[in-house]
Amino acid sequence: MPSLFVIRGRDQGTRFEMDQDTVEIGRDASNSVQLHDTEVSRSHARLRRTDNSYTVVDLDSSNGTFVNGTPVKEQLLSSGDQLQLGRTLLLYTGFAEPSADDLDEMIDIVSRRPANDNSRIVRSMSQEEGSALFDLSVDDTRSPWLARARSNLQIMYRTALAVSHTLDIDQLLSRIMDMIFEWVEADRGCIMLKQPESGELAPKVRRHRRGAKTEQRITISQTILDYVVEKNEGVLTSNARDDDRWNPAQSILQMGVREAICVPMQGRYDMVGVVYIDTSTSPQKLLQQPGSANKFTEEHLKLMIAIGHQAALAIEDTSYYKAMVQAERLAAVGQTIATLSHHIKNILQGVRGGSYLIEMGLGDHRQAAEREPVDSPKLIAAAETIRKGWDIVEKNQQRISTLVLDMLTFSKEREPQPVASQLNDMVADVVELMQSRADEAGVKMDWKPDPQIPVLLFDPEGLHRAVLNVITNAIDACDGRESGCVTVSTSYAADAALARVMVRDNGAGISRDDLENIFSIFVSKKGGRGTGLGLPVSQKILKEHGGRIHVASEPEQGSCFTLELPAVQPQPAERHTMVQNSK
Amino acid sequence: MSPQRSVLIVDESDESREVLRTALTRLGTRIYEARQAAEGLELARTCRPDVIVLDLELHGGDSDWGEFEAAARQRRTPLVIIGSARRAGMRVPGGQFIEKPYHYAPLVRRIEDLLGEPL
Repeated sequence: MPSLFVIRGRDQGTRFEMDQDTVEIGRDASNSVQLHDTEVSRSHARLRRTDNSYTVVDLDSSNGTFVNGTPVKEQLLSSGDQLQLGRTLLLYTGFAEPSADDLDEMIDIVSRRPANDNSRIVRSMSQEEGSALFDLSVDDTRSPWLARARSNLQIMYRTALAVSHTLDIDQLLSRIMDMIFEWVEADRGCIMLKQPESGELAPKVRRHRRGAKTEQRITISQTILDYVVEKNEGVLTSNARDDDRWNPAQSILQMGVREAICVPMQGRYDMVGVVYIDTSTSPQKLLQQPGSANKFTEEHLKLMIAIGHQAALAIEDTSYYKAMVQAERLAAVGQTIATLSHHIKNILQGVRGGSYLIEMGLGDHRQAAEREPVDSPKLIAAAETIRKGWDIVEKNQQRISTLVLDMLTFSKEREPQPVASQLNDMVADVVELMQSRADEAGVKMDWKPDPQIPVLLFDPEGLHRAVLNVITNAIDACDGRESGCVTVSTSYAADAALARVMVRDNGAGISRDDLENIFSIFVSKKGGRGTGLGLPVSQKILKEHGGRIHVASEPEQGSCFTLELPAVQPQPAERHTMVQNSK
Repeated sequence: MSPQRSVLIVDESDESREVLRTALTRLGTRIYEARQAAEGLELARTCRPDVIVLDLELHGGDSDWGEFEAAARQRRTPLVIIGSARRAGMRVPGGQFIEKPYHYAPLVRRIEDLLGEPL
């Protein structure tokens, strides 16, 4: 059955099977494919059955409908197409191809050769022999053009082999770089991948030719990178100009010649990164061998573009496969938890009730003991034992409660419920709640609210959770360190319509490598204390509000997490309710 | 001396009622309890509590909150509503909505605040 599978967005992991001739997609519950995405229109698009596929029709949505990155009004879909609505990315899978059963009727395998067929084996060839199609040792010396064409074909064949069946992107990039160095006389090279979050290029692999005397750092001109990224074209650059190359007065003879190739890695849907290589020829060598300047040619550029494309396809496949596995796994976990959600909440509620009474009883007991001292040492010791045991139970019930609630939030069981609320009150509640944990860790907590923040529309329970997770981490980062301090503050930028909650600590900090993964689910650097759910949950909540979390961190210096929230002011009617509530 | 203040708790869970009863009676508040909506509405009418605490997840649906809201509005009784999720368009005049799972300390504090307010 044809289906839409959400590979990115809040509904990630959901599969919608389509058994109707028309399928409505939108944010409203009336749609058969309902997307929980604020950038999707209430009634966004329609899929219409046409013969053996579906045609997508945009219903004048505010943010448009995209097929494989191109905005469309109406488009026939084929299997594997990616549909983007708002921030949600869906994978379309069409009707199944004729199944094996049908093929069985078309193809017969017979034990006896029909009388009129005289076919016999004329020549057989092993797998290795076939691959030797690209073997250069064959008599190609007569035609240099043919030799080059064959060599290029061989390179592409080997690239295709090298990039297939690997699910580790780093390993894949490393293989590609190795191969480029085998074929091209490059001194240095690197591959940069586009970061999915920021869209910026980040270096992933770097190579040096052995014995190459070049400086360690690769400097790449931003102009060239911009050109490659914007025009999606490969470039060959050289600091030598044809006419003045042999003019001894030119600086080339002092500096040598530097040549570089930079090509886009263009995949099916998107540019995933760039490959860069360069080489330099020293002045001495230029004088000895005048022809040695042009190491990189147009041929090299063509080849690099082809390699870049192959690599990009492999990277796309790998990341989509990973995203799909991850999405399906999360969806399964989410569904299980959502089913149990009601029971879990009731159990938590019961535990909290009991804890509250015990806490109250212990408090009353202490007060009574102060007023009329108990003189039995056994009674005093008993009360102390209860207190010690209780502290442990209390701490652990809070931990399990946090874990379970994070899982519930992550399983998208809960819809954000924006109401007019005071950001400062909400954050103050969290700070108060975390005070005992901070005291226990010997961490000082400062709370600096910005009095200028107006009443805003947000989901107080959700944001409470988001802030709580970030403050918990800040306290944990300071635990066991001298004069640990966590500063929580709020600020409001009326012009940018943004409200911020800042959580700054002077704790352990986060290394550059770890910084990339802090929002990945089930990744924790806190050992037994962390679940790997806290920050992903916080980020999910902020994203649902249209906001984001910004992190700045320096190892051994501390971290600063900024939760940025679009400041939406409530309509007058809602504010009225708020005023009554806050009395 | 002010007359004894009272709170009506409408909640299906015996445990929840017990926790609230213990915490509130300790401070000298009088408690009325109901397991079901109908019973709760009856008590709201006859006993005239100063605050009503209503758990929305009563057995047999939770469509009754509108009736409680009307009853509370009529007598200007503050209403504290507890539930899993806030319903769209839900307005709680002079009261509070508290999402499950909640902490008891802030809930009790809120009830006390509402009790302390002059009529």
